[in-house]
Amino acid sequence: MKENKDVKNRKITFTRGEKIFLGIFVLIYIIVGIFNMKTIEPLTNVGERWIITLPWGEGLLNRVNPMTLIMSWSIVLALIILAYKVGKNFKIIPNRIQLFMESILEFIYSTVEDSTSKKELVKPIFVIAATLFLFVVVCNIISGFPGIQVVPTDSGIKISLFEDTWYTPTSDINTNATYAVMVLIISHVFAIKVKGFGRWLKGFFEPNPIMFPMNLIGEIAKPISHSLRLFGNIAGGGILVLILSYMAKYMFIPVVLWGFFGLFVGIIQALVYSMLAIAYISAQIED
Amino acid sequence: MEKVDMAQAVIEAAKYIGAGIAMGFGAIGPAIGEGNIGASAMEAMARQPEMGGTLITRMLLAMAVTESTGLYSLLVALILLFII
Repeated sequence: MKENKDVKNRKITFTRGEKIFLGIFVLIYIIVGIFNMKTIEPLTNVGERWIITLPWGEGLLNRVNPMTLIMSWSIVLALIILAYKVGKNFKIIPNRIQLFMESILEFIYSTVEDSTSKKELVKPIFVIAATLFLFVVVCNIISGFPGIQVVPTDSGIKISLFEDTWYTPTSDINTNATYAVMVLIISHVFAIKVKGFGRWLKGFFEPNPIMFPMNLIGEIAKPISHSLRLFGNIAGGGILVLILSYMAKYMFIPVVLWGFFGLFVGIIQALVYSMLAIAYISAQIED
Repeated sequence: MEKVDMAQAVIEAAKYIGAGIAMGFGAIGPAIGEGNIGASAMEAMARQPEMGGTLITRMLLAMAVTESTGLYSLLVALILLFII
């Protein structure tokens, strides 16, 4: 009996300010929904990229993806400015941003230290892994926030301001493949430096000379899976959010999905990308 | 819509069917593997909660390696859809 009374008394109560806020919120929600209903249009050009064809060059070499270049250089510049700001006033008692950067870099450094047996190569591998991680994580995180996106249409290009998320360089396979191939080359250069050329070459014929094609294919498959993992997650997530938000046009679902695909998946994939770079490099320099 | 002859239409249809089959069947193996990895990591974490941080990074790395067969099928599906 008493419980029943408690349930009865537990009414949801709002203060005056909350009521006004909720009323305005619902009003804006309905108005935006009705406004959007007029401008409904079929979903086209999903996953298309703005590509410029250069007047010189042939085949694949004369195609440029301008948004990838612009966003990559902006992120690199932003990271340089951040690093300069943090590094300029480095104190014993850190402020918030310095503490944040220190904890990220310390985590990567301890991971490299655990997985590498050669002490003199810990620092170069740490520099590579930390650079990759910081770049990729900033690229992935901005795919969770509304921003500037350029979409090609039948007549030229359409610049959408704050309708879609920021254009992410990692949703372009070229960026990921470039860094994955770079990691492959770096790992083999380190292997030659540590083991010497003869022993590095002998590693390809390891258990048996018959296994040479297998070892070669295994090496070539590394950058493919390394780059496609990031590309599939980020580009697939972006397209999924676009299609879901098109199907549920009058709701505020996309915010949650952007948070999931941009922040959660993005940070995990950036971590996986740099961890795999560490693993590939340290697997090559092992004896 | 422009008119296409029968052979072209069959090729177009086969492309999409092939991409769907490649991606659908290719996702089964990684799904089972990642499930096993996650279950084992959970068991290990329940047994030794103080190892949690190390186990999570190792688990993510193992998942990433397991995923690669699925990614090859994604590559095949993309080649079927956009390149051939």
